[in-house]
Amino acid sequence: MSLLGMFWNQTVCLLQHFRGRKNRCYSLAVRAVRRAFVYASKARKAKRRSMRQLWIQRVAAASREQHMKYPALIHNLLKCSVALNRRVLCDLSITEPRSFQSLTALAHARRTEGLRAALGDGAEPPGVFSRITQLQ
Amino acid sequence: MSVQWATFARSWLLIDARMQPPGKIASVCSVRLQGKHKPIYHPLSDIGDHVVVMNTRHIAFSGNKWEQKVYSSHTGYPGSFKQLTAAQMHQKDPTAIIKLAVYGMLPKNLTRRTMMQRLQLFPDDLLPDDILRNLTEELPQPREIPRKLSEYTQEERDAFPMLWTPPEDYRMK
Repeated sequence: MSLLGMFWNQTVCLLQHFRGRKNRCYSLAVRAVRRAFVYASKARKAKRRSMRQLWIQRVAAASREQHMKYPALIHNLLKCSVALNRRVLCDLSITEPRSFQSLTALAHARRTEGLRAALGDGAEPPGVFSRITQLQ
Repeated sequence: MSVQWATFARSWLLIDARMQPPGKIASVCSVRLQGKHKPIYHPLSDIGDHVVVMNTRHIAFSGNKWEQKVYSSHTGYPGSFKQLTAAQMHQKDPTAIIKLAVYGMLPKNLTRRTMMQRLQLFPDDLLPDDILRNLTEELPQPREIPRKLSEYTQEERDAFPMLWTPPEDYRMK
Protein backbone atom coordinates (compact mmCIF):
# COMPACT_ATOMS: atom_id res chain seq x y z
CA MET A 1 0.00 0.00 0.00
CA SER A 2 2.08 2.93 -1.20
CA LEU A 3 1.56 6.38 0.29
CA LEU A 4 2.24 7.84 -3.12
CA GLY A 5 -0.59 5.91 -4.72
CA MET A 6 -2.91 6.69 -1.80
CA PHE A 7 -2.32 10.43 -2.10
CA TRP A 8 -2.68 10.34 -5.84
CA ASN A 9 -5.96 8.43 -5.77
CA GLN A 10 -7.46 10.70 -3.14
CA THR A 11 -6.56 14.00 -4.77
CA VAL A 12 -6.67 13.30 -8.50
CA CYS A 13 -10.39 14.15 -8.61
CA LEU A 14 -9.61 17.56 -7.08
CA LEU A 15 -6.91 18.62 -9.54
CA GLN A 16 -8.55 17.74 -12.84
CA HIS A 17 -9.31 21.41 -13.62
CA PHE A 18 -5.78 22.72 -12.91
CA ARG A 19 -3.76 24.26 -15.70
CA GLY A 20 -0.60 22.76 -17.23
CA ARG A 21 1.46 19.96 -15.71
CA LYS A 22 -0.08 20.55 -12.26
CA ASN A 23 -2.90 18.16 -13.22
CA ARG A 24 -0.53 15.34 -14.32
CA CYS A 25 2.85 15.42 -12.57
CA TYR A 26 3.13 14.37 -8.93
CA SER A 27 5.60 16.95 -7.56
CA LEU A 28 3.86 19.92 -9.11
CA ALA A 29 0.44 18.52 -8.21
CA VAL A 30 1.33 18.15 -4.51
CA ARG A 31 2.28 21.80 -4.27
CA ALA A 32 -0.76 22.95 -6.26
CA VAL A 33 -3.20 20.90 -4.15
CA ARG A 34 -1.75 22.22 -0.89
CA ARG A 35 -2.15 25.82 -2.17
CA ALA A 36 -5.68 25.05 -3.30
CA PHE A 37 -6.58 23.82 0.20
CA VAL A 38 -5.08 26.96 1.75
CA TYR A 39 -7.05 29.19 -0.65
CA ALA A 40 -10.23 27.27 0.13
CA SER A 41 -9.76 27.76 3.89
CA LYS A 42 -9.14 31.49 3.49
CA ALA A 43 -12.11 31.79 1.14
CA ARG A 44 -14.52 30.21 3.63
CA LYS A 45 -13.87 33.21 5.92
CA ALA A 46 -13.91 35.71 3.05
CA LYS A 47 -17.22 34.28 1.77
CA ARG A 48 -19.03 35.44 4.90
CA ARG A 49 -17.57 38.93 4.46
CA SER A 50 -18.45 39.17 0.76
CA MET A 51 -21.98 37.85 1.34
CA ARG A 52 -22.59 40.55 3.96
CA GLN A 53 -21.18 43.18 1.61
CA LEU A 54 -23.57 42.02 -1.14
CA TRP A 55 -26.56 42.11 1.25
CA ILE A 56 -25.66 45.65 2.30
CA GLN A 57 -25.36 46.79 -1.35
CA ARG A 58 -28.75 45.26 -2.20
CA VAL A 59 -30.51 46.73 0.85
CA ALA A 60 -28.97 50.13 0.07
CA ALA A 61 -30.25 49.95 -3.53
CA ALA A 62 -33.74 48.94 -2.40
CA SER A 63 -33.94 51.65 0.27
CA ARG A 64 -32.78 54.29 -2.23
CA GLU A 65 -35.69 53.22 -4.44
CA GLN A 66 -37.90 54.13 -1.46
CA HIS A 67 -36.18 57.54 -1.03
CA MET A 68 -34.22 56.55 2.06
CA LYS A 69 -30.49 55.96 2.61
CA TYR A 70 -29.06 52.71 3.99
CA PRO A 71 -27.43 54.10 7.19
CA ALA A 72 -30.65 55.96 8.06
CA LEU A 73 -32.71 52.80 7.49
CA ILE A 74 -30.51 50.57 9.65
CA HIS A 75 -30.19 53.08 12.49
CA ASN A 76 -33.91 53.80 12.63
CA LEU A 77 -34.87 50.11 12.46
CA LEU A 78 -32.48 49.56 15.38
CA LYS A 79 -34.16 52.38 17.30
CA CYS A 80 -37.55 50.75 16.68
CA SER A 81 -36.17 47.42 18.07
CA VAL A 82 -36.66 45.73 14.69
CA ALA A 83 -33.87 43.15 14.86
CA LEU A 84 -33.94 42.01 11.22
CA ASN A 85 -30.45 41.24 9.95
CA ARG A 86 -29.09 42.25 6.57
CA ARG A 87 -29.64 38.81 5.03
CA VAL A 88 -33.36 38.88 5.82
CA LEU A 89 -33.69 42.52 4.72
CA CYS A 90 -32.03 41.65 1.41
CA ASP A 91 -34.38 38.69 0.82
CA LEU A 92 -37.41 40.82 1.74
CA SER A 93 -36.34 43.57 -0.63
CA ILE A 94 -36.17 41.10 -3.52
CA THR A 95 -39.13 38.81 -2.90
CA GLU A 96 -41.42 40.93 -0.66
CA PRO A 97 -41.16 44.51 -1.92
CA ARG A 98 -44.31 45.72 -0.15
CA SER A 99 -43.05 44.47 3.23
CA PHE A 100 -39.76 46.24 2.60
CA GLN A 101 -41.68 49.40 1.69
CA SER A 102 -43.54 49.26 5.00
CA LEU A 103 -40.22 48.80 6.85
CA THR A 104 -38.81 51.91 5.16
CA ALA A 105 -41.99 53.79 6.08
CA LEU A 106 -41.52 52.72 9.71
CA ALA A 107 -37.87 53.83 9.68
CA HIS A 108 -38.82 57.15 8.06
CA ALA A 109 -41.50 57.75 10.71
CA ARG A 110 -39.01 57.01 13.51
CA ARG A 111 -36.47 59.30 11.85
CA THR A 112 -38.83 62.26 11.56
CA GLU A 113 -40.37 61.66 15.00
CA GLY A 114 -38.39 64.46 16.63
CA LEU A 115 -39.21 66.95 13.89
CA ARG A 116 -42.91 66.07 13.97
CA ALA A 117 -42.96 66.44 17.78
CA ALA A 118 -41.33 69.87 17.47
CA LEU A 119 -43.22 71.24 14.46
CA GLY A 120 -46.25 69.05 13.81
CA ASP A 121 -49.58 68.81 15.62
CA GLY A 122 -48.83 65.60 17.53
CA ALA A 123 -50.87 63.44 15.15
CA GLU A 124 -49.52 59.96 14.42
CA PRO A 125 -48.29 59.44 10.86
CA PRO A 126 -50.83 57.56 8.71
CA GLY A 127 -50.13 53.90 8.07
CA VAL A 128 -47.36 53.45 10.66
CA PHE A 129 -48.22 51.39 13.73
CA SER A 130 -45.67 50.70 16.43
CA ARG A 131 -46.20 49.81 20.08
CA ILE A 132 -42.56 49.57 21.20
CA THR A 133 -41.67 52.65 23.24
CA GLN A 134 -38.43 51.59 24.94
CA LEU A 135 -35.25 50.32 23.29
CA GLN A 136 -34.40 46.83 24.49
CA MET B 1 -42.74 34.65 -15.95
CA SER B 2 -43.20 38.00 -17.64
CA VAL B 3 -42.55 39.62 -14.25
CA GLN B 4 -39.16 37.91 -14.19
CA TRP B 5 -38.39 39.19 -17.68
CA ALA B 6 -39.41 42.67 -16.52
CA THR B 7 -37.14 42.62 -13.44
CA PHE B 8 -34.08 41.46 -15.39
CA ALA B 9 -34.66 43.70 -18.42
CA ARG B 10 -32.16 46.39 -19.36
CA SER B 11 -33.89 49.78 -19.53
CA TRP B 12 -32.85 52.96 -21.32
CA LEU B 13 -32.55 56.03 -19.07
CA LEU B 14 -32.22 59.67 -20.13
CA ILE B 15 -30.45 62.49 -18.28
CA ASP B 16 -30.39 66.16 -19.31
CA ALA B 17 -27.00 67.62 -18.40
CA ARG B 18 -27.91 71.26 -19.02
CA MET B 19 -26.44 73.52 -16.27
CA GLN B 20 -25.41 70.46 -14.21
CA PRO B 21 -22.00 69.72 -12.66
CA PRO B 22 -20.43 66.89 -14.73
CA GLY B 23 -19.24 65.00 -11.62
CA LYS B 24 -22.77 64.63 -10.26
CA ILE B 25 -24.05 63.54 -13.67
CA ALA B 26 -21.22 61.02 -13.91
CA SER B 27 -21.89 59.54 -10.46
CA VAL B 28 -25.59 59.06 -11.30
CA CYS B 29 -24.62 57.47 -14.63
CA SER B 30 -22.07 55.12 -13.06
CA VAL B 31 -24.58 53.90 -10.43
CA ARG B 32 -27.13 53.10 -13.15
CA LEU B 33 -24.57 51.52 -15.51
CA GLN B 34 -23.37 49.11 -12.82
CA GLY B 35 -26.91 48.21 -11.80
CA LYS B 36 -26.36 49.30 -8.20
CA HIS B 37 -29.81 50.90 -8.12
CA LYS B 38 -31.49 47.48 -8.35
CA PRO B 39 -32.02 45.16 -5.34
CA ILE B 40 -30.98 42.20 -7.54
CA TYR B 41 -27.47 43.64 -7.92
CA HIS B 42 -24.45 41.34 -8.23
CA PRO B 43 -21.05 42.46 -9.61
CA LEU B 44 -20.83 39.42 -11.90
CA SER B 45 -24.34 39.53 -13.33
CA ASP B 46 -24.60 42.06 -16.13
CA ILE B 47 -27.63 44.03 -14.95
CA GLY B 48 -26.67 47.61 -15.72
CA ASP B 49 -28.96 49.84 -17.73
CA HIS B 50 -28.30 51.97 -20.79
CA VAL B 51 -27.83 55.67 -19.99
CA VAL B 52 -28.25 58.46 -22.57
CA VAL B 53 -26.89 61.89 -21.60
CA MET B 54 -27.95 64.86 -23.68
CA ASN B 55 -26.82 68.51 -23.71
CA THR B 56 -23.29 67.63 -22.61
CA ARG B 57 -22.12 70.81 -24.32
CA HIS B 58 -24.02 72.86 -21.69
CA ILE B 59 -22.26 71.40 -18.69
CA ALA B 60 -21.56 73.75 -15.75
CA PHE B 61 -18.42 73.34 -13.66
CA SER B 62 -18.48 75.17 -10.31
CA GLY B 63 -15.63 77.45 -9.25
CA ASN B 64 -12.73 78.11 -11.62
CA LYS B 65 -12.50 74.52 -12.83
CA TRP B 66 -12.86 75.47 -16.49
CA GLU B 67 -9.40 77.07 -16.24
CA GLN B 68 -7.86 75.13 -13.35
CA LYS B 69 -8.87 71.51 -13.98
CA VAL B 70 -6.21 69.79 -16.10
CA TYR B 71 -6.62 66.60 -18.10
CA SER B 72 -3.25 64.96 -18.75
CA SER B 73 -2.41 62.20 -21.19
CA HIS B 74 0.75 60.44 -22.38
CA THR B 75 0.91 58.11 -25.38
CA GLY B 76 4.14 56.46 -24.16
CA TYR B 77 6.39 58.03 -26.79
CA PRO B 78 8.94 60.60 -25.53
CA GLY B 79 7.80 64.19 -25.70
CA SER B 80 4.08 63.35 -25.95
CA PHE B 81 2.91 64.48 -22.52
CA LYS B 82 -0.17 66.61 -23.20
CA GLN B 83 -1.98 68.70 -20.63
CA LEU B 84 -5.30 70.27 -21.54
CA THR B 85 -7.47 72.49 -19.39
CA ALA B 86 -11.11 71.56 -19.08
CA ALA B 87 -12.08 74.47 -21.36
CA GLN B 88 -9.74 73.33 -24.15
CA MET B 89 -10.89 69.71 -23.76
CA HIS B 90 -14.54 70.80 -24.00
CA GLN B 91 -13.76 72.85 -27.10
CA LYS B 92 -12.14 69.85 -28.81
CA ASP B 93 -14.81 67.32 -27.85
CA PRO B 94 -17.95 68.36 -25.92
CA THR B 95 -18.62 64.81 -24.65
CA ALA B 96 -15.10 64.04 -23.41
CA ILE B 97 -15.42 65.52 -19.91
CA ILE B 98 -18.42 63.39 -18.90
CA LYS B 99 -16.95 60.34 -20.64
CA LEU B 100 -13.71 60.59 -18.64
CA ALA B 101 -15.60 61.27 -15.42
CA VAL B 102 -17.82 58.19 -15.84
CA TYR B 103 -14.83 56.05 -16.89
CA GLY B 104 -13.06 57.00 -13.67
CA MET B 105 -16.12 56.25 -11.51
CA LEU B 106 -16.82 52.76 -12.85
CA PRO B 107 -15.13 49.75 -11.16
CA LYS B 108 -11.68 49.13 -12.60
CA ASN B 109 -12.32 45.70 -14.07
CA LEU B 110 -13.07 44.10 -17.43
CA THR B 111 -16.77 44.97 -17.26
CA ARG B 112 -15.91 48.69 -17.39
CA ARG B 113 -15.55 48.73 -21.19
CA THR B 114 -18.94 47.07 -21.77
CA MET B 115 -20.53 49.55 -19.37
CA MET B 116 -18.95 52.46 -21.26
CA GLN B 117 -20.39 51.07 -24.49
CA ARG B 118 -23.84 51.24 -22.88
CA LEU B 119 -23.33 54.97 -22.15
CA GLN B 120 -24.45 57.24 -25.01
CA LEU B 121 -23.41 60.90 -24.92
CA PHE B 122 -24.86 63.64 -27.10
CA PRO B 123 -23.62 67.26 -27.09
CA ASP B 124 -27.07 68.74 -27.89
CA ASP B 125 -30.65 67.57 -27.43
CA LEU B 126 -30.80 66.14 -30.92
CA LEU B 127 -31.09 62.36 -30.38
CA PRO B 128 -31.27 59.74 -33.13
CA ASP B 129 -34.66 58.10 -33.73
CA ASP B 130 -33.73 54.58 -32.65
CA ILE B 131 -32.45 55.83 -29.29
CA LEU B 132 -35.52 58.04 -28.80
CA ARG B 133 -37.74 55.02 -29.37
CA ASN B 134 -35.83 52.94 -26.81
CA LEU B 135 -35.95 55.45 -23.95
CA THR B 136 -38.09 54.41 -20.98
CA GLU B 137 -37.39 56.81 -18.12
CA GLU B 138 -36.00 60.28 -17.53
CA LEU B 139 -33.93 60.71 -14.39
CA PRO B 140 -34.26 63.92 -12.32
CA GLN B 141 -31.43 66.41 -12.56
CA PRO B 142 -29.04 66.24 -9.57
CA ARG B 143 -28.67 70.02 -9.21
CA GLU B 144 -31.55 72.46 -8.90
CA ILE B 145 -30.88 75.23 -11.43
CA PRO B 146 -31.09 78.64 -9.67
CA ARG B 147 -33.16 81.28 -11.43
CA LYS B 148 -31.56 84.38 -12.83
CA LEU B 149 -32.62 87.77 -11.45
CA SER B 150 -34.23 88.59 -14.79
CA GLU B 151 -36.45 85.47 -14.47
CA TYR B 152 -38.08 86.72 -11.24
CA THR B 153 -41.27 88.74 -11.72
CA GLN B 154 -41.52 92.25 -10.28
CA GLU B 155 -44.10 91.06 -7.69
CA GLU B 156 -41.71 88.38 -6.41
CA ARG B 157 -38.91 90.92 -6.21
CA ASP B 158 -41.09 93.30 -4.20
CA ALA B 159 -42.35 90.52 -1.94
CA PHE B 160 -38.76 89.41 -1.12
CA PRO B 161 -37.93 90.36 2.52
CA MET B 162 -35.52 93.27 2.93
CA LEU B 163 -32.57 92.81 5.30
CA TRP B 164 -32.39 96.53 6.07
CA THR B 165 -34.22 99.63 4.86
CA PRO B 166 -31.88 102.22 3.39
CA PRO B 167 -32.32 105.85 4.57
CA GLU B 168 -33.87 108.44 2.25
CA ASP B 169 -30.63 110.00 1.05
CA TYR B 170 -28.83 106.65 0.40
CA ARG B 171 -27.36 106.42 -3.08
CA MET B 172 -27.29 102.90 -4.59
CA LYS B 173 -24.34 102.30 -6.89
